[in-house]
Amino acid sequence: MNFNWPYFWAQLITPSGAFLQGLGLTIIMSVSAQLLGFIIGLGVAFGRMSSNKYFSFLAATYIWIIRGTPLLVQIVFIYTGLAAAGILRFEDITIGDITFPGNLQAGILALALNEAAYMAEIYRAGISAVDRGQFEAAKALGMPPIMLMRYIVLPQAFRIILLPIGNQFNIMLKNTTLVSVIGVSEMLLVTETINSATFRTFELYSVLGIYFLLLTSLWNIFMAWAERHFALGRPATKSPPALAALEIAK
Amino acid sequence: MSDNLLIEATNIDKWFGPVKVLDDVNFKVKRGEVVVLIGPSGSGKTTLLRCINHLETVQNGRVVVNGKLIGYRERNGRLVSDREANIAVQRRDVGMVFQRFNLFANMNALENISLAPQLLRGTSKADAQAQARILLARVGLPEKEAAFPVELSGGQQQRVAIARALAMQPAVLLFDEPTSALDPEMVGEVLSVMRDLASTGMTMVVVTHEMGFARQVADRVVVMADGKIIEEGPPEQIFSHPSHPKTQSLLAAVLH
Repeated sequence: MNFNWPYFWAQLITPSGAFLQGLGLTIIMSVSAQLLGFIIGLGVAFGRMSSNKYFSFLAATYIWIIRGTPLLVQIVFIYTGLAAAGILRFEDITIGDITFPGNLQAGILALALNEAAYMAEIYRAGISAVDRGQFEAAKALGMPPIMLMRYIVLPQAFRIILLPIGNQFNIMLKNTTLVSVIGVSEMLLVTETINSATFRTFELYSVLGIYFLLLTSLWNIFMAWAERHFALGRPATKSPPALAALEIAK
Repeated sequence: MSDNLLIEATNIDKWFGPVKVLDDVNFKVKRGEVVVLIGPSGSGKTTLLRCINHLETVQNGRVVVNGKLIGYRERNGRLVSDREANIAVQRRDVGMVFQRFNLFANMNALENISLAPQLLRGTSKADAQAQARILLARVGLPEKEAAFPVELSGGQQQRVAIARALAMQPAVLLFDEPTSALDPEMVGEVLSVMRDLASTGMTMVVVTHEMGFARQVADRVVVMADGKIIEEGPPEQIFSHPSHPKTQSLLAAVLH
């Protein structure tokens, strides 16, 4: 077998500055796209559940298109496609010393818009899992709809959807590699660049895989803590069946 | 109409799909009155109660509480549905206690009681919590303020739910079968809280199968069957000399 151990260890333990920058971009992209996805997704979920049939139709169409087409296609469409059609060109934005490149903006936007469609369905599932009696009690006290959501329903829905949210961010971390196709130098693109000069593909992709495994494992540890934290001393909601089953399995 | 009338529901019709569950119902409650609604399952008593705070929409007729039309407003002599935000304001004077308690699962007892006055009446947190503690003591649970709903028995949850409704200082309290979901040994503690409330002059409308409570506490008993009010009067009249055959068979079924 042709495996260069010293090269592998060197790349793993003392990665190049470019690779570390790629790691930073992976984290920045996934966190900001996930946060944007949370916010846009909540809007889409409310649209989907709205009694206004136009909002509901628009939201349903959005979810249908996003979930029905590949993320890779969406990324190219938003960055290269929109620019080619002369609709929207993402320009670099410079604030002080920091430049926010156009392809990074487009990449984050594409990831966020994609995430929003999935989050919308997760929110919808979480909200419909909250007992109807909770809605009625809040209404009967005289709470208007937004207050009812803010104080009663969303906090309970959040606990129900904690696990799927953890899942989504895990997927998000790995999906950032797709943004390499529009030239964002995240970890995969940096690895490819180094690979084209050294052809140490096996070693380099092992290192890349290990770094992703490290990121997702750290996230798993955080989620395990979050699940305990939000259950601790506050057995507030009757555990939804899925959660309860998992807890028994532990 | 006399100012003394707190609830005035006139000519209420309500369908669930093809089924007419309320059929031209007229129902009035005076200030300070305790009215108990009885009737067989499916007679429409819970639906009538839920129409009073617009948890159910009426298809014909109108509901007026405390002089305010509920759920609709008049435009060019016709009734049009009011906005959710306005309906929310109308509901603040009408407290409701549910069969399944429906305490907010994400909050402890104190938060359950003090939330609405803070959000809706502009009460300060300190005042709302002080008032909540007084109410908890009044329903006999002063030591349970930090308990979450799952940590309370059914009877305790229902007593907290009554305190939560009272915290908004409503003009009337609606009870929707408040003891039907309780284990038998817990029925008494909830009825006793309701009895105390009635003795303070609280206006109450109670849907229940507890005939003993109706007989002792009600000022007026209203009997429903098939979506209509078939008979009403003081408890001694209804229980001792029921005139409608359906009342007679209902009482025979429940009391024996």
